[in-house]
Amino acid sequence: MRTYSIRRRLLVALLGVLLGAGLIAAVATYASARGEVDTFLDEELRQIALSLRDHAQLDLARLQRASDDPDLRALVQIWDPAFERPYSSRAVAPLPRLRAEGFATIEHEGRSWRIYATPSGKQTVQVAQPTALRAELAARSAGRLLLPVVVLLPFLGLLGWWIVGSGLAPLTAVAQALTQRDPASLKPVTTPQPLPIEVQPLVESLNALLQRLDAAFDTQRRFAADAAHELRTPLTALTLQIQLAARAQSEQERAIALERMEKGVKRATRLVQQLLTMARLEPEAASKPTEPIDLYALALLVAEELQPLAAQRKVSLEVNAAAAAWVLGQEDAMRILLRNLIDNAVRYTGPEGRVDVHVRASEREVNVSVEDDGPGIPVEEHERVFDRFYRGRDAAPGGSGLGLAIVRQIAELHGGTVALSAGVPGGLRAVTSFPAVLMPAAS
Amino acid sequence: MRVLVVEDDPMIGEAVVAGLGADGYAVDWVRDGRAAELSVDTHRYAVVLLDLGLPMRDGIDTLKSLRARKVDVPVLIITARDTVADRIAGLDAGADDYLVKPFDLDELSARVRALLRRAAGRAEPVLSHGSLTLNPATHEVRLEGRPIELSAREFALLLALAERAGSVVSRAQLEEKLYGWNEPVGSNAIEVHIHNLRKKLGEALIRNVRGLGYKLG
Repeated sequence: MRTYSIRRRLLVALLGVLLGAGLIAAVATYASARGEVDTFLDEELRQIALSLRDHAQLDLARLQRASDDPDLRALVQIWDPAFERPYSSRAVAPLPRLRAEGFATIEHEGRSWRIYATPSGKQTVQVAQPTALRAELAARSAGRLLLPVVVLLPFLGLLGWWIVGSGLAPLTAVAQALTQRDPASLKPVTTPQPLPIEVQPLVESLNALLQRLDAAFDTQRRFAADAAHELRTPLTALTLQIQLAARAQSEQERAIALERMEKGVKRATRLVQQLLTMARLEPEAASKPTEPIDLYALALLVAEELQPLAAQRKVSLEVNAAAAAWVLGQEDAMRILLRNLIDNAVRYTGPEGRVDVHVRASEREVNVSVEDDGPGIPVEEHERVFDRFYRGRDAAPGGSGLGLAIVRQIAELHGGTVALSAGVPGGLRAVTSFPAVLMPAAS
Repeated sequence: MRVLVVEDDPMIGEAVVAGLGADGYAVDWVRDGRAAELSVDTHRYAVVLLDLGLPMRDGIDTLKSLRARKVDVPVLIITARDTVADRIAGLDAGADDYLVKPFDLDELSARVRALLRRAAGRAEPVLSHGSLTLNPATHEVRLEGRPIELSAREFALLLALAERAGSVVSRAQLEEKLYGWNEPVGSNAIEVHIHNLRKKLGEALIRNVRGLGYKLG
């Protein structure tokens, strides 16, 4: 893209308009002046002709003197039987003699003439004038109007340059404020002077952008700090178990330490996986394409994946729904959401417990409720367990404290909600709701 | 020496209990602040290891409340909070030492020993009584310069007596110092250990004060 200067553009436009206006005024003046000059000079021609004709006695010598008057802007021709040859005031090729009384414009030897002729009997007095004279007079009066504009133009240019420059000063101030900032700072841009309303939107949107960036960076920083803090726990446990294994006195002690080390590694791995999931769900994920998803089918799929875990813990896991439940979303994310909810329920319900998943679809929304008959969570913790890294009082060992935070993030990403409540048999019920979409019967 | 570990993370708790147990300490382990206060009120601990991020009641609050009640047990904070401000806050709340996770088990043991030494008002790391010397760091025992092999429990018992050399320590006190909650104590366990110690160190070193307990003399 070519760069350009607002100042130069404005200045060229301003001067152009000024000059154009001057020219239009000059042309208009010329046109109207030309009309006036025509009327005036025609009348003059007629007067001269009539006064010459009325001098009954045409004295050639006097005539000569009168018509030689340099102020007389006319050519006088007289045809009179009394003269030897037709009289002409100037030594120009004689213009043709007109037969009719009145004005005429004729072309003669490359020049245009305005003529007034008064034939009377055998005598004809004819006064003529080159039309160029009239054009010159009109042009002169138009020129008088245009002259000041042309003379003033350089001064107006300088003045315009200065005015436009000072008008653009706030922009320069903003640019300066931007260059002088600390490049790492995301503080709002401020200028010492108040900004004009034309520049304000620019600075305001810039500041809004900076604010969003600042918030995003802040989230990232906090997330990294939290993650580092949380990884420290399994790493501490691992360090300790390694040292215990190294100083173990018996095979049995060593075996215990190794087993615990394995648990520690699994836990750290799980934490890292959850952290990655979380990072992938950061706000930019909202721009990923969505597709229609049947939450009933997806819940069945996830439940099937979790059956081995449920069987191992002797938990009965069931998914109930009346019909397909369509929502718009990202399938991978939805799968993680359902998996986290159902996995949690299976883990927290006691052995021989049951986990019921209900998928309900209405015209407006789709609800998935995951209910277990485990020990539940105290009501005062129902909100806090959605916080990142918050681990409830009775949280199972090995959890990352991220599972429900991820669930909430996914729900919100899809315009949905998730909340906990006490389950009917005393366990926990997690309900997540999403806006429903209508699917054609064919699907 | 009886030690209280206040740590909510099961894996770290297990490891610290195992590590300190191998050093011969009797270790009790609780997972939240309230249980910690209750334990400190009902038992005499030589040292408390306190995590800060605890459920129910934060570690700092627990510590402040202990100090407000004039409980002077040495407290070693073990935590993942590693900023200078956190350390200052911890020490100013009444902690005697501050250890940041992840830490080394050997360093933990050394810091516990240092706290015990300071609490007993000793400067030198090795205890001596007559021709008997005990090194709590290495569990090395010498009698007249000759090294003596002791089990962890025997060493702990001898240390308990040596720390209060000259005064009588009751059997109950010894049991309390030697056994955590989860360890079954046989009715004559102390007598068995005393018996073994006398066999290794000679009959005269540990005297039985009838009806009161034992003393090093």
